[in-house]
Amino acid sequence: MNVENVDLVRMVLDHEVVDGDDVPCGMVDDLELEGGAGSKLTVAALLIGPAAWTARLPWFFPEVARFFVGRGQHRIPWTEAAVVGDRIKLKSTAGALGLDAADRRVGKWLGKVPGSEAD
Amino acid sequence: MKALELFLGILTAVGGFVEIGELTFALNAGSKFQFALLWVVALGTIGIIVYGEMAGRIAAVRKQPVFHLIRERAGLTAGLVTLIAANLVNLMTCAAEIGGIALVWQLLSGWPYRPLILATFVLLALAIWFFSFEWIERVFGLLGLLMVVFVVAAVASRPDWQAVAGGFVPQVPATADPSQTRLFAYFAVALFSSIVLPYETYFYASGAIEDRWTSKDLNMNRVIIIVGSVLGSSLAVALVILGAQQLAAHEIDAELPGTAALGAGIVLGTWGLIAALCGMLFAFGGAAIETTLSGAYNLAQFFGWPWGKFRKPREASRFHAAWLVLLLLSTLLIVSGVDPVQVVEYSIVFAVVTLPFTYFPMLLIAADKRVMKGFANGLLGNVLGWFFLVLTTLAALAAIPLLLMTHGGRG
Repeated sequence: MNVENVDLVRMVLDHEVVDGDDVPCGMVDDLELEGGAGSKLTVAALLIGPAAWTARLPWFFPEVARFFVGRGQHRIPWTEAAVVGDRIKLKSTAGALGLDAADRRVGKWLGKVPGSEAD
Repeated sequence: MKALELFLGILTAVGGFVEIGELTFALNAGSKFQFALLWVVALGTIGIIVYGEMAGRIAAVRKQPVFHLIRERAGLTAGLVTLIAANLVNLMTCAAEIGGIALVWQLLSGWPYRPLILATFVLLALAIWFFSFEWIERVFGLLGLLMVVFVVAAVASRPDWQAVAGGFVPQVPATADPSQTRLFAYFAVALFSSIVLPYETYFYASGAIEDRWTSKDLNMNRVIIIVGSVLGSSLAVALVILGAQQLAAHEIDAELPGTAALGAGIVLGTWGLIAALCGMLFAFGGAAIETTLSGAYNLAQFFGWPWGKFRKPREASRFHAAWLVLLLLSTLLIVSGVDPVQVVEYSIVFAVVTLPFTYFPMLLIAADKRVMKGFANGLLGNVLGWFFLVLTTLAALAAIPLLLMTHGGRG
């Protein structure tokens, strides 16, 4: 980790997550904390995906949003975070963590269109 | 090489400055109020320079596009509301541009309107799919430069230059009729909004990252945004002059985009008319592509998907699918029979409502010395940034009441 004190709200939550190759692989949609009152509170994982961000919406919107975007979620252990800066850089690649699943799914269809391999 | 890049960047900014909304409102502003709204063009141009420069600077220094900043600084809920509003405006603007292209194409060819909408969809989709970002910018930006014919026509129409210069002094025409004052205020807000449309900053910042700008490119960023916007706004000024000189004189109401070309045609003849129509075709085409790509950029940046034309469609498949879906939805909206000019009028008014939500997070980051270090706003940047933030907030508050009170600018 590159910094000693991490302000979770200002420096982690709602920040972009990139993999070890600097490829974007989501936003920090929520955080999983461990430890209760009186004990040491630690970050257990970064939560990425619709289930995490929809749960943070007010009123009845979580259910409405989940109807459209689903309930998928990835749990990335905090120990995977290599750098906390303008973005959160992970140690592994998106593929190794399963964070590229949605793009691979859509990519199967787009890959059939001529020109999909061009830059 | 840098000089060539700079030159092309400026030309592209000029060619891409005017789209159907600005064209409609500038012409109508001239035809209804002569030169009295020219100061709004000047004010809007300074506004887009201030925030465009900030967007480009943040993108070059932090490699962060606008919707990262909105999510990071405004938070999830406010950011999501901004995303939905911004993309609805993008969708409506793109639909209007597609309708505008089909109308202009119809004038040039005489072919039926609705099949031309579908042909426009196919051509735009092919252009985005097969062209690189650089080529999209250059082809549509440079061919959009044919719009310069409006400047030639405006000069050739021999306006009273003293009266034109007087239009740059902020003013509200003295009238006993309050409905005329409300109409003037509506056109002032709409013309301002059409110049500072939020998609321009989304696209500009994303484009800076597509073009791999770094902090070494900050001077180029400044020159492109200042010179490009000032020269581009001269097209808007020319449209106001033509509206005042030609449309008002011939009692023509600018209800269709083709009316603008008529203004050039009356002054310059057939070739002026054809050049104006071709210029509009590419200017609207460029704006349609920019709005549809902006929509996809916004989604991808807000949710952290891989994005960019520099990535192969297989590597950024959700981003590429998103622009295709947005382009299709825009086409379906316009093919359903709605009037493109009416769509653009609503989109321009709703656009100004989203502006403060776009500008505020950008200003916070650009002014933050901890994150921008030596590249943070100076005193002038902060003063102008806050001034335009307050101004856009006032315009946002007034926009919808004025739209309702003036019956969409019809008095």
